[in-house]
Amino acid sequence: MRLRSSRTFWSGDRRGRLLAAALVTAVIAYVGWKIGESPSQALQFGFNGLSVGAIYALLAMGFTIVYSTVWFFDLYYGASAAIGAYGVFYLRSKDALSGLHSVHNAYVNVLFASVVAGVVAWILYETLYRRLSHRYNREVLLAAGGIVSAAAGCYTLAVLHYTENLNVVLSPAVGCAAALATAWLVFKGLERVVGGAGRRIVVGVAAVMGLAVGAFAALYVVGEPGTRLYLSWVLSCLLAGVVGLALYRGLYAHMRERARSPLVMLVATLGILLAISAAIVLVFGSPARPLPDVFGSQPREIWGGTIKDFNLFTVGVAIVAFLGLLFLLKRTSLGRAIRAIGDDEEVSKVVGINTTVVISIVFFIGAVYAALAGVLSGHDTAIQPRMGLLLLLKGWIASVVGGIGNLYGAAIGGLALGMVEQFGIWDLAGEWRDVISFVLLILFLSFWPRGLLPRR
Amino acid sequence: MKAEAGGRPRPAWDPRRLLSGVRGNLELWANLIILTWAVAFAVWQGTGFAIGLGTVFAIWGILSVSLNLVVGYTGLLSVGHIGFFGIGAYAVAVLTSTQDYELLRTGAVPTYEWPFFAALVVGVGLAGLAALVVGVVFNRFRDDIFVLVSFGFAIIAFNSFLNLRGVTRGAFGIHEVARPQIGPWVFDEEFDFLVLALVCLLLVSLVSWLIVTSSFGRVLTTIREDERTAEVFGYRVTHYKLAVWVISAMMAALAGGLFGSWTRFVDPNSFILLESILLVCIVILGGLASIWGSLLGALAFVLLEEGLRFLPFVPDVHVGQARQMTLGLMLVLLMLFRPQGLLGRYKL
Repeated sequence: MRLRSSRTFWSGDRRGRLLAAALVTAVIAYVGWKIGESPSQALQFGFNGLSVGAIYALLAMGFTIVYSTVWFFDLYYGASAAIGAYGVFYLRSKDALSGLHSVHNAYVNVLFASVVAGVVAWILYETLYRRLSHRYNREVLLAAGGIVSAAAGCYTLAVLHYTENLNVVLSPAVGCAAALATAWLVFKGLERVVGGAGRRIVVGVAAVMGLAVGAFAALYVVGEPGTRLYLSWVLSCLLAGVVGLALYRGLYAHMRERARSPLVMLVATLGILLAISAAIVLVFGSPARPLPDVFGSQPREIWGGTIKDFNLFTVGVAIVAFLGLLFLLKRTSLGRAIRAIGDDEEVSKVVGINTTVVISIVFFIGAVYAALAGVLSGHDTAIQPRMGLLLLLKGWIASVVGGIGNLYGAAIGGLALGMVEQFGIWDLAGEWRDVISFVLLILFLSFWPRGLLPRR
Repeated sequence: MKAEAGGRPRPAWDPRRLLSGVRGNLELWANLIILTWAVAFAVWQGTGFAIGLGTVFAIWGILSVSLNLVVGYTGLLSVGHIGFFGIGAYAVAVLTSTQDYELLRTGAVPTYEWPFFAALVVGVGLAGLAALVVGVVFNRFRDDIFVLVSFGFAIIAFNSFLNLRGVTRGAFGIHEVARPQIGPWVFDEEFDFLVLALVCLLLVSLVSWLIVTSSFGRVLTTIREDERTAEVFGYRVTHYKLAVWVISAMMAALAGGLFGSWTRFVDPNSFILLESILLVCIVILGGLASIWGSLLGALAFVLLEEGLRFLPFVPDVHVGQARQMTLGLMLVLLMLFRPQGLLGRYKL
């Protein structure tokens, strides 16, 4: 009787590692050979790989943080990327795309507005209501919260309706956000300097500076139509993130309590992905659409290779996003909570972490990262309804190759995937790109199942 | 119908009592509704319509029954089934096509002009071979990762159909695929073809039924419930999984051959990943580990598209999207309230 019959001939640990090392060596040798063959062309492929890899890394980072917290794969992620990209199209189609294929749909507006209203109500409930309900009349608090969240919904509706003047409509929100951020930063900074002594003065200074900066930001945004692009990016990423949060809080949280295995969650999120992709086709139609060029399509020349400014920008965004997530996970109390939940959710609940809130935030972050990747890749190529599924798969592969649950692994995996894809199509034709990434995945999983940098 | 313990019995018209009645007899209701719907549709739309719909149902039925062997009975959630379907379709198309390609000037591809059944046997064999190779590699993976690599198989298969232009003629597709022929009897009439497809469906269902009721099927169920236990009892889990994987792939290739011959035109767009996901939806919707459930799921799937066509607010070009949306939302609801599907015996 052989107990370990499921082991095939190559599955021994040492042999697997040897084969993996051989694989990596072969890849490096291949790249080296290519560089020797034609350095400038290799540089060009390297640049392409870098710009694609940055997008994959963004996807993988968001994917891995969600997976390592709740331990199921959230396929809404792909839909989030598509929502981000199509959101930019939706917000810009009346304006930058000169009304061509202009899309406007009242149902979409109402849907997003109600989601935003619900999420605002939930935030108010979790933060203010819990603190204030002991001191004040609960009915009054609930009514006030309802009015505020309804107002937030109405504001979203207005923003989505008047997209041709995005900068004007959004200026109050930008002003408030800038004011709050400045006030908070000033308060934290001064408090550290002054200590507890002059708290009132600190609050006053922070408030005044916040008001000033907020007013300036709002006025600047109103007077500068060029900011519409960036506002549309931020807005569509935030909307996709809010939908992700609402999905977790409204659906997955209940489903997880009775789910027998992670596959149930996987299938349910697959259903969400299907429904949202279909909805995107229903609203926008199936043909591919362009997003406007951002920094001009003229490529810039560096050491004999060419790269578009936008791709450099993408790489920068990916680096900033990586550092931001790293800071969040390693240096803040929220990050500690996230890691604790990933290690053991029950115990974190016992020690007093509000797991629902923390996981909702994680889903928000993950969805925002996916949407960001969707926006960037949409500007780089074009947007099409299939892009959600494709980006989802690429992010999934990159996070698995990098070692699922490890942030560094996700970044490296994304970059490696982009590079391998681009160098792979040097000799093969470009159509085989998706095949290359999946062959890489299968090879990797066969020889090195835990990925490049496994989670400890 | 039981009343709540301790309380007064609810009157017969109480909606809660009605609802609990439906929930208790969900299987019966699902059967009744879908079958009535099918019959009503056939009567209303006339025979010609019903024949076409019946053939589509037979093809999807073979696919979903065969996938249920893998997903429902063995517990491997495979999203790559459409690849084997495509292999069968392409084998039949390439081997039987009589189109003169030189006229189109798109490269020389030889025409073989084989008879349908010989090509079908080759296609089924090829799919079995491909499944063997793929299965040996995929056997190490399970759960989430198996889903991911099976996505990969679907994508690799689709890209191969699209890009191996020397064999498959890429996006142009292959025209004039032969209809089946036994001696002088050509299945040219739609009705004849429907009969053939239904016979195939019956055969596949019968074989599947024999498989799942045999000792082989019981081992598969054990693997699904607890792989380690099956190993401890001395069964070679790898071999069992591989065997059912290959059998299921061959059934899918049979469906593919029928599909290619029925539409008389094969191109890569019939084998996209989305179709594969919809297939998984059918299997889960109909019921995991239930052959009758799979058949019913395929029937509901086919009827759904035609049913949506008659809704006033769904424009004709968007019927596919509306169906996809319905299925997606249904999947979410099922996972919330009934993770085994309508007639399922196994909770995911």
